[in-house]
Amino acid sequence: MSYWMRVKALCKRKQLDRDLEDELAFHLAMREEKNRERGIGGEEARYAARRQFGNVTRIKEASREAWSFLSLETTWRDLHYGARALAKNPGFTAVAVLAIALGIGVNTGIFSVLNGVALKLLPVPSAQQIVSVDQIIHGKVPRNVEGEAGLFSYAEYKNYEANNHVFSDLLAYAPFLDPTTLGGETPKQLTGAETSCNFFDVLAERPALGRTFVKEDCSAPGASPVVVLSDDLWRTRFGADPKIVGKNISLNRAKFVVIGVTAAGFHGLDPWPSAFWVPVTMQKALEPQRDVLGEDNTGWLALLGRMRPGVSLEQVRADLGVIAGRIDQQYPGRTTTLAIRRATFMSRTDERSDVFGIGEIVLAAVGLVLLIACANVANLLLARASARQKEIAIRLAIGGSRWRIVRQLLTESLLIAFLGGTLGSLVAFWSIEGIARYVLTHLPHGAGELMWNVSPDLRVWGYSLALTAFTGIVFGLAPALHATRQDLSTAEKGDGGGLTGKARGGKLRGTLVGVQVAVCMVLLIAAGLLMRGLYYAQTADPGFEMKGITQVRFDLPSQGYNLEKARPFQRELMARVAALPGVDDVEQARVTPLGHQWEVTGLTLVGETQQRGFEFNVVTPGFFTMLGMPIVRGRTFTEAEARSDAPVLVVTESTARRLWPGQDAIGKTLRNGEKTQFQVVGMVRDSETSHLGQTDGLFFYMPAGPAAQDRLQLLVHSRGGDAATANGIREAARALDADLVVDVTKLEDNLEGWRTPSRIVAALSGVLGALALVLASVGVHGVVSYGVSQRIREIGIRMTLGADGREVMKLVLRQALKPVVIGALVGVIGCAAVSQVLSNVLYGMGSHDPIAFVGVPLFLLCIAFLASYIPARRAVRVDPVVALRYE
Amino acid sequence: MEKDGDLMPGTLDMLVLKALARGAKHGYGVAEWIHESSNDVLQVEEGALYPALHRLELKGWLAAEWGTSENNRRAKYYSLTVVGRKKLAQEAEYWRRMSGAIAKVMQMA
Repeated sequence: MSYWMRVKALCKRKQLDRDLEDELAFHLAMREEKNRERGIGGEEARYAARRQFGNVTRIKEASREAWSFLSLETTWRDLHYGARALAKNPGFTAVAVLAIALGIGVNTGIFSVLNGVALKLLPVPSAQQIVSVDQIIHGKVPRNVEGEAGLFSYAEYKNYEANNHVFSDLLAYAPFLDPTTLGGETPKQLTGAETSCNFFDVLAERPALGRTFVKEDCSAPGASPVVVLSDDLWRTRFGADPKIVGKNISLNRAKFVVIGVTAAGFHGLDPWPSAFWVPVTMQKALEPQRDVLGEDNTGWLALLGRMRPGVSLEQVRADLGVIAGRIDQQYPGRTTTLAIRRATFMSRTDERSDVFGIGEIVLAAVGLVLLIACANVANLLLARASARQKEIAIRLAIGGSRWRIVRQLLTESLLIAFLGGTLGSLVAFWSIEGIARYVLTHLPHGAGELMWNVSPDLRVWGYSLALTAFTGIVFGLAPALHATRQDLSTAEKGDGGGLTGKARGGKLRGTLVGVQVAVCMVLLIAAGLLMRGLYYAQTADPGFEMKGITQVRFDLPSQGYNLEKARPFQRELMARVAALPGVDDVEQARVTPLGHQWEVTGLTLVGETQQRGFEFNVVTPGFFTMLGMPIVRGRTFTEAEARSDAPVLVVTESTARRLWPGQDAIGKTLRNGEKTQFQVVGMVRDSETSHLGQTDGLFFYMPAGPAAQDRLQLLVHSRGGDAATANGIREAARALDADLVVDVTKLEDNLEGWRTPSRIVAALSGVLGALALVLASVGVHGVVSYGVSQRIREIGIRMTLGADGREVMKLVLRQALKPVVIGALVGVIGCAAVSQVLSNVLYGMGSHDPIAFVGVPLFLLCIAFLASYIPARRAVRVDPVVALRYE
Repeated sequence: MEKDGDLMPGTLDMLVLKALARGAKHGYGVAEWIHESSNDVLQVEEGALYPALHRLELKGWLAAEWGTSENNRRAKYYSLTVVGRKKLAQEAEYWRRMSGAIAKVMQMA
């Protein structure tokens, strides 16, 4: 009933208004008559009636509110009014909308990247049913890990698969396979995966050609040499051969029969696309250098299950938890917690902590840019509200309720927010895929291929919508409340700027400017630090020689080489390379400097029981000379020591300092388990061979003897002609083994892998810093201009009374720069606190770099000074006569 | 703060219903009736009266009709609906119990 009446009311709006008018007029008339009867005469009777009656407007508003339909009508009217107000002030509207568009745009863009990387479900049918399972093992129990600590062994997988009650099926696959060599005319390195035979069934992926695995393929180790190819590989390597099914291909020199090709667009379950899939039972055939299928305590498999209909994540946790408990009983002292999440491209705990760690920092940074934009628009709104003070004061005086006016002002700011948000989001949606593609295709050699679908989905839309609404309220509320809380009498008289008092709202405006400057300072210093880090990474001397050195990388064990086969190969290859024209030195090393390969082991000090973790390299005696790393004490290995695999070590200076402070390291011994005693024979100068910018890790070198030959790679020094040398090396390797993939690159190229992350980060932070700077300087300029325009009369009077221009200028600047300086100080202090976060990408540079911490604030202050100076100069040029009349 | 004659909170709706129990009245009539019936003690704020009348009308407790007043003016007359009458009975009963209870408490020495 009452709804119906409201609908009717909505339709007959005008009629109702007239009725209300009539009703109240009648009341007043009756009251007036009564007063007259009482003997109050003439006009006085009417005024008395009015006085008694109270505020007519407010009564009208209250009565109307009772009639209005869910206040829809008011909202509509506010919107209409707001749009008209914005259209009347195109300059203001454009600046505000642009500021918000920038803020929302960068936020939406970054979020859609994060969404694509870590939040989107897998692109398979009914993806919401797929959950990823990984484990955290507590307790000091031995455990072998291949790839990530959370992975499972094959036996553990079989246990979960057989005994769970919550999955329609559970799959396992090995996500971290070394590159596989695909044989052929020109051998090629591929990324593939070993999978359980229900892999494609669980994911509901149908092949485009042939079949996928069946249960029998996994019946016994080595039983079924079959492979499923990706659509990409089929097209690029096999010319989309329609008769590919049934043909043999060679993977790491083992024969596999192609049984199928996946549908286009399926790349597996990781951000790095898979080129092929083989049954997990073929692990040894594909990777002759390891045999993990039968190792019950080695984690190497990732698990994903498809939940049965109606099963919740809680039930999955409970059910699998029981199985985990049973497995724990086999290993005394071990307790396992399971992490179970809906599967995305990054759902395992380790991956997530990486992505979200970085994601949080970046989101915080773009959040700060949005904050500056909000402060900016809030300030503009404040200034505008002051211009509308009279209007608002009159509305309040004739009884408009404060809430109504606040609501109307908020509607206006929400309108700005939505205009800006829509603009920013559209630009972000339109450009982010291109930007992501650009970055991903410009990764350095060896970083591998990555595939992320960052196109916006409903979640991104929702995020930018929520952010926009939130933004509108954040920047609109303070000015709206401020504008309606006023002292009526002064406002109505007009507030042309008192001689002594500050302009109204000065404090709030100053605070907003301070906040902008502080936040901008944080972003700029961070950007400055990162740029300095980039500069350092580009120019830093890693402490060893890279010029003229070529690295020759190959992986013998995966190609079926054992020590017996490896030794003659290495000997022959070194001889042939050494005979190449221009080559004057050939050395062997297990890992190449800065090559993103690390070897780690534990050694025990004399008198200690706990092992310490060391990085190490296995090198020939001439390695140090070739790389220009001087031996500061003792000596390098002798040829005899190398030939006999002697237990001798060369340690770095900082290792010696840390292990034996104040003592001579030469002659000290280190134990490897119970078996071998190693003796330190030399100490080499510190250099950044392992991580760019770091020299302080424990590090030792062992001689490259006959026992190490299967895992060594070559470093070649040549005069001139790098390309010719590289070709010669490739030819020499091909002559020895045509199927071996040999990666020949300049040693200097390794630096790229270290520079790219800092380049991306520096570029991003540079863009954000520049945005922040533009927004903040527009903000400062706007506030100072407004302050000057408000005080123009005061300035005029001062000038008339004889104050000179310089004094006025000083006055204006002092007031303008006060909040700027305070904000700058707060920003510097804040940044000193957070800069530790950035130290990871700053390659050896202190996170309190003086140039960033002094230079950036000075730069920002200069910009702020300029932004205030321009309007201040205008103040001084004011003609006193004009100023006095000015209102 | 409180002036003499201000209504206790929550009682206005009940008084309006009571004022209309004996037949239709216009807004001014309601205010005057309450004022006079209370021996000039209770003063109804017009600012509260009209929104209250409209609210009760929307709830369906009151019906409204435009008519002509005693001095030939166009006026809006309110009257109780069946629901309104029921509500009045309930409110009156509730008030009787409450005021009795309060009076008892206040008489305690």
